[in-house]
Amino acid sequence: MANPWIAFLVVPLVKIVVILVAVILLAAYLSFFERKILAYMQIRIGPNRVFPRGWLQPIADALKLFSKEDIVPTRAEKLVYLLSPVITTAPALVVFSVVPFASATTLFGLLKEPVTPYLTDINIGILFILGVSSVGVYGIILGGWSSNNKFSLMGGLRSAAQLVSYEVPMGFSVVAVLLMAGSLSLVKIVEAQKQAGVWFFLPGIVAFFIYFVCGVAETNRSPFDLPEAESELVAGFHTEYSGMKWAFYFLAEYANMVVISSVATVLFFGGWLRPFPNVAALAFLDVVPPFLWFAAKVGFFLFCYIWFRATFPRYRFDQLMALGWKVLLPVSLANVMAVGLGVLLMGGAR
Amino acid sequence: MSFWGFLASVFQVDLLQGLSVTGKFFLHRKATIQYPDVKPVPADRFRGMFGFSEERCIVCHNCAKACPIEIIHIADHFEEIEVEGKKKKKKVLDRYDIDVKRCMFCGLCEEACPTEPVAIWLTTKSYESAAYERNERLYFDKKRLQNWDGVEPYPGVVTPEKGQMPNDPSGGAAGKAGEQKS
Repeated sequence: MANPWIAFLVVPLVKIVVILVAVILLAAYLSFFERKILAYMQIRIGPNRVFPRGWLQPIADALKLFSKEDIVPTRAEKLVYLLSPVITTAPALVVFSVVPFASATTLFGLLKEPVTPYLTDINIGILFILGVSSVGVYGIILGGWSSNNKFSLMGGLRSAAQLVSYEVPMGFSVVAVLLMAGSLSLVKIVEAQKQAGVWFFLPGIVAFFIYFVCGVAETNRSPFDLPEAESELVAGFHTEYSGMKWAFYFLAEYANMVVISSVATVLFFGGWLRPFPNVAALAFLDVVPPFLWFAAKVGFFLFCYIWFRATFPRYRFDQLMALGWKVLLPVSLANVMAVGLGVLLMGGAR
Repeated sequence: MSFWGFLASVFQVDLLQGLSVTGKFFLHRKATIQYPDVKPVPADRFRGMFGFSEERCIVCHNCAKACPIEIIHIADHFEEIEVEGKKKKKKVLDRYDIDVKRCMFCGLCEEACPTEPVAIWLTTKSYESAAYERNERLYFDKKRLQNWDGVEPYPGVVTPEKGQMPNDPSGGAAGKAGEQKS
């Protein structure tokens, strides 16, 4: 890649387009899988009418949303109302720029030089993800406020309170991993797991549990879906949204699910690594390309998301706050102490 | 709280139990019947579209009285006929209408019917009586109650006109075996 134009413009642009299209398609198909899995857990069949066994259902849904009327409430704050879905969606998509999908690859020998199948690897990757993804809540609370609807406002407020509460234990659970890995870069974290020979899931099981619970809460998914609790708030912050604006919220929610699952995979489940990456007896597992390992782990977490939704009833708001502040926060703090002590005794970060 | 209870609460065993229930149903055989492709099989005592036999009806009005929502409308008049030289009055049915769109298929009319076999019955298994126009198409007069114009008989079931009998699981398909009193 002698030509700097190729290295600095064409390659990143191609990667951006591929990642964006993949994420948007994944978000669309996640809705299909969610309906399917929910249906299966309720011994129904789910959508199966649109051409091959329902597989084009997300496409049909997207076309429907494109052609729907876009209603703006008369007394809404027009500009804020218009901007909020964008404020929510953009961070959810931007975050994917630092998610490492796989190690450097030549695409089975198609390319002369190996390319990294992620957009960039910055040395504050996890901080970037936590910071940018938290911006999304502005879109939710502004959307709830600008709709000029009490249900929307309450949904937005709940979402803000929930995010503030759960961001804290989530940050501490990530700190435990950072102590073990000794780096903020997501690629370095995966490589540290390769060196350690074990996924951080095993030494950091408490951190993983806290991270995933907080992740479910941060994405406003059941059983923490209070901001859009149907039975109480109609549809919460997006009560007044319709058409493509609503679709943007929808896209952001599912993209955030993928982000949380990807980060959980990278931090605790070894990213693109196979199980027990240093055990030579399992070398036959290397037949599976690294990206498929990553995708399989992310898929499992996404399945868990939907599984939880099919199983658990919604938390009451005070229970939600009590869980966040009285259980998760002390446990995550104690976990940081314990992991730090362990790392110290084992001789520092690897 | 016992020690095991404490452990169970720490590891959230109840949540895992819930997950195992939904996980089991995920692999369960699905209960959905894909209706237009696969037709549900009704039980023998399933109450479906009305069958009516004008020749057995003695115009006693019991069914109309039994009907809790009064959707059976009957009109009659007397005719004089001669039986063995004696003049007798006989009731003749003018009108026997059932407003099926309001019917809740309770079957009380069938229970009230004094004839043997009953002249109005619901054990027909046929449930495909939907129509695009409810006032005309779902209001059945005595003719349509017998020839089932607008009703799709359940496969293997014949219309009352062609000899369907009440409480006949074969729906009259086995011929007119039910003609004699049973």
